[in-house]
Amino acid sequence: MFKKLMLSAVILATILAFSGCQQQAEEDTIKIGFFGALSGDQAVWGQADRDGLTLTVEQINEAGGIMGKQVELITYDDKGDQLEAVNVVKRLINEDKVSAIIGCNSSGRNIAVAPVVEEGKVPIISTFATNPRVTVPEEGKLMQYTFRVCFIDPYSGDVTAQFAWNDLEATKAAVLYEISSDYSVGVRDFFTQAWEELGGEIVADEAFKTGDVDFRAQLTTIKEAEPDVIVMPFLYKEVALAAKQARDLGITATMLGGDGWPSTALLEMAADAVEGSYFINHADVDAPHVQEWRDQYQERFGKDIEINAIMSHDAMLMVKAAIEESGSTDPEVIRDALENLTGVEGFSGTINIDPETHNPAGKAAVIIEIKDGKFQFFKQFEPMN
Amino acid sequence: MSGYYSGIIILTCINLLAVLGLSLLTGFTGSFCFGQAGFMAVGAYVSTLLTMNYAAPFPLALFAGGLAGLLVSIPLGYPTLRLKGDYFAIATLGFAEAMRLIIENLEKITGGSRGIPGIPTHTNLPLILVVTFFFVWLVRNYVSSRHGRNCVAVREDELAAEAIAVDTFRYKQISFAINGFLGGLSGAFLAHYVGFIQPSMFGIPQSTQLIVMVIFGGMHSITGAVLAAIILTALPEVLRAADAWRLVAYGAVVVLIMIIRPEGLLGSWELSKDSLQDLWSKLQARLNQYKEQRLAKAKE
Amino acid sequence: MILQQLVNGISIGAVYALIAVGYSLVYSVLNFSNFAHGEILMLGSYVGFFALTQLNVPFVLSIALAMIGAGVIAILMEKIGYRALRLRQAPLLYFMISAMGLSIFLQNFTIVTIGPNFRTYPDVLPTQPFTLGNLSIGRIDLLIFAITVISLAMLTWLIYRTKLGSAIRAASYNMNVASLMGINPDLIVMIVFALAGSTAGIGGVLFGMKYTVYPWMGALTIKAFIAAVVGGLGSLPGAVLGAFVLGITETFAAAFVSSEFRDLFAYTLMITIIVLRPAGLLGTLTQEKA
Repeated sequence: MFKKLMLSAVILATILAFSGCQQQAEEDTIKIGFFGALSGDQAVWGQADRDGLTLTVEQINEAGGIMGKQVELITYDDKGDQLEAVNVVKRLINEDKVSAIIGCNSSGRNIAVAPVVEEGKVPIISTFATNPRVTVPEEGKLMQYTFRVCFIDPYSGDVTAQFAWNDLEATKAAVLYEISSDYSVGVRDFFTQAWEELGGEIVADEAFKTGDVDFRAQLTTIKEAEPDVIVMPFLYKEVALAAKQARDLGITATMLGGDGWPSTALLEMAADAVEGSYFINHADVDAPHVQEWRDQYQERFGKDIEINAIMSHDAMLMVKAAIEESGSTDPEVIRDALENLTGVEGFSGTINIDPETHNPAGKAAVIIEIKDGKFQFFKQFEPMN
Repeated sequence: MSGYYSGIIILTCINLLAVLGLSLLTGFTGSFCFGQAGFMAVGAYVSTLLTMNYAAPFPLALFAGGLAGLLVSIPLGYPTLRLKGDYFAIATLGFAEAMRLIIENLEKITGGSRGIPGIPTHTNLPLILVVTFFFVWLVRNYVSSRHGRNCVAVREDELAAEAIAVDTFRYKQISFAINGFLGGLSGAFLAHYVGFIQPSMFGIPQSTQLIVMVIFGGMHSITGAVLAAIILTALPEVLRAADAWRLVAYGAVVVLIMIIRPEGLLGSWELSKDSLQDLWSKLQARLNQYKEQRLAKAKE
Repeated sequence: MILQQLVNGISIGAVYALIAVGYSLVYSVLNFSNFAHGEILMLGSYVGFFALTQLNVPFVLSIALAMIGAGVIAILMEKIGYRALRLRQAPLLYFMISAMGLSIFLQNFTIVTIGPNFRTYPDVLPTQPFTLGNLSIGRIDLLIFAITVISLAMLTWLIYRTKLGSAIRAASYNMNVASLMGINPDLIVMIVFALAGSTAGIGGVLFGMKYTVYPWMGALTIKAFIAAVVGGLGSLPGAVLGAFVLGITETFAAAFVSSEFRDLFAYTLMITIIVLRPAGLLGTLTQEKA
């Protein structure tokens, strides 16, 4: 009996699959798609991305929507996996027929879905993907439908190098990076380039693979090289582990990081080890003009904000501006409006899209110091060109 | 047909090709191969390098991918096919992982762990359907031939098979080679469907999924493998709403199958003229029985 | 630096050893690789974590709770996933598939219920490492090493010097004959799983302390597996030896060849052993292979 039940369940599911459960298109709403890592180890950010977006959409809808229409947000979990990302983006374009897509936080995944949106002709705004190849895969080629709201790695590599050279007066740098991450490799490349141009020396260059939890072998090599600073452009989870192990091994050099660091989880996991370190961020969550929204976020979701929420908020503002300027919800028209978008006031600064690269021009970076177990604003760097 | 649905069918065919080879090797010949993803990786990368660096026509690249898988299986099979069941399984697992890691380390050629994006998406529905049908037909015929029966003999009792002059080693090699070819072919199609490849796409979870499909459909049935590939590729899409729970359900289903019906859905049942006639006559017998019951009741 | 890398290798080898031992134990009696073993470790780690943080029990008690919890989970795992197969004398492949299914189930169940976030064990030991000249040895590593040695000693004593141990060894040679001699196979299997689970539980806590606790911890199983194969599947001292060999080889490969080659070396090591010396370093071949 049980066997028959299982069999019929399976058959039923198959029928469901091929008959398709399509939602009826409602003409009165503007559909915006979102995808991100809602599960897996990047879930903290993916969820922040989504929650920030959700709150922004809710606030827009309360204020009357865009051009009088309510915004409908359709979200999918890509589990941090590139194949899954391609899958869900295809679904957003073909099944849900969204006007624009926002997401995600990973360069690797955005690079993977760029050809998909190019084919499907729906614009996508990445919240956090910083590798230049996301919009400009190679010299002279531009992905027509991909945009982003954050600055790019060459800039943060440059900023890191300048900060270490000028402010920390370091001359010898070691790099530990994640070889399976477009982001990490990109930052490492750009930092190395900028550093050597300034006259600095790279004394150690070590790599690890995603999923590694033990970095002692690499750190021991780094320790032998006696660097002034160690650049660690990867994600908070590995940063926490690596930092703890570095201190365990007796390494005292200052650690520098990028926008993969900011997360309350980093402090939870390794507050002592990262004390006295610095990292680059897109905006300062403690900045005064963010606080009101931050409180609203806290009230709505019961947890503190992460930087991703700010970025997805700004991305949504970009979409809103593009729709209002062009007066249309047609994806191709929105794309054209996005390409020439200027003057959008987001929490991360004023956003002016450079039509040649689809990147926001003139975005500043902030340097955050970890002091007394908290993130503290240290310095602002001038806008990128 | 919307891109989304044709995409699911394409994915099903890709899985099916890989599962086909596995069904032959593991189901019919009895060699537990836990490294199918390794062959797919080989096929994917070889075919990609051909289309992207040498502008090779797609069919050629496909064939090359399959061939690469086949060629790899020969030196791999030599030392390992002599090993007993679980050791062979372990060795194939190790092979798949080693393949993945080698690809990751040949950065200049393969793009390393970050993979190769921007692969021309040549895979289209008609092509893959034709190819899939062809190979299903081919393997089906192989299995029902004398060769297929020899494979089964190898699976059931190697010693006895040797005793009746069946060259067990050669049959295992042939099955392994066919599996390698189909795996490589599947990988080539996958690369040109998704548009990018990276080593993490060819790891243990992927190999496991394929084995599960073979088991689910019935290890001793090609039809079962086909059915399983269809159901288990389409099902996760249907259950997408349940999301995180869907993997929980997946794991539970796997365990349940093993406990309740390890022969899989179809066991050894094969779709064929005979089996259909068999089904038909059973159905007729049932109908007659039903008719008689009704008559008997009417008489009361 | 070589000395420090050696220390690094031994410290990670000890972690592998704790897992490999339980794994090998199950293999020696039941002849199959429990791919879900890593999940027992993971769950044990969570038990210890919650015991420490929610129930605020002293550290030693949390390890004990983790041991018991993991042991119970292991027994349940056997009852649900493997018993039916064992009674049916199903082929090895089915066990392995069931194990994989259990592994996927438990991993994702944890993700959905407890959440995917990484949990950090509160610092139970002072965080300052021991330093001998230029060498840095973490205190947690010493603890892991000590506990591994103690566990192994106790396990060896149990298996070679007690009546229960003889029963287990008899069952590992031939379950059927052993049951004819009055040994209850179900009970033996249950005890073996409980033992394997307990060692995994301790391993989980220590691993969680050394790194962090997360639902994918079970991925370590493959390393334990390689360790057991290298040392000889079915041999307990072999598992430990294999674990240290693996840890040291891996670390040296990462340090002196390339950090990306770490895993590749591990697999190459395993394949080499299988092809050249399938019995492993310490194992004995009890069945014909062809």
